[in-house]
Amino acid sequence: MSNKVAIIAANGGMFDAYKVFNIATAAAASEKEVQIFFTFEGLNLIHKQGMHALEMPAGKEHFAEGFEKANVPTIPQLVEMAQELGVKFIACQMTMDVMGLTKEDFVDGIEVGGAVTFLEYAKDAAPTLTF
Amino acid sequence: MNITKTLDAKGLACPMPIVRTKKAMDAINTGEVLEVQVTDKGALNDIPAWAKSGGHSIINQREEADVIIFHIQKA
Repeated sequence: MSNKVAIIAANGGMFDAYKVFNIATAAAASEKEVQIFFTFEGLNLIHKQGMHALEMPAGKEHFAEGFEKANVPTIPQLVEMAQELGVKFIACQMTMDVMGLTKEDFVDGIEVGGAVTFLEYAKDAAPTLTF
Repeated sequence: MNITKTLDAKGLACPMPIVRTKKAMDAINTGEVLEVQVTDKGALNDIPAWAKSGGHSIINQREEADVIIFHIQKA
């Protein structure tokens, strides 16, 4: 049985962020090694400012109340918790170049890499998840 | 069975009960027992699944009103 979980975060909305970080923190809390590859809009999720203002899908804004009522942690809290649990964040170099972003635009402690970095990690991971 | 430590995770939503349980378990020794109190209905399946992944034993589980209580013995 693989002890590695590999996640691709390719979308940048608030719902996407919860899907990614809930699975990542749960896996890390279950003693799994976890790596997340953030690419394209997924980079929003670890962007220093962007992660505080993630959007809900159009027409779903009314769920904001539900999030509050359910006492769900905020995305910045989940990001911090994931890192504390040892989840490794890899930002996609190519997307950063396209979007004119540098490592300093993101939360501390991330690494920057390309597709091969992720593939090498994910080759013996189970499961590999894409959000 | 003596309870070594009690974790109040009532009112917390997924994935917090699991994250808090993991941290609390890190703080006790093998063979010791952690009591976890949760209200998240998802934890009913999540806590046993989490315990299984680490080889820990659920030695007691009960519900009191809306609170689910687990006694987990550390492996």
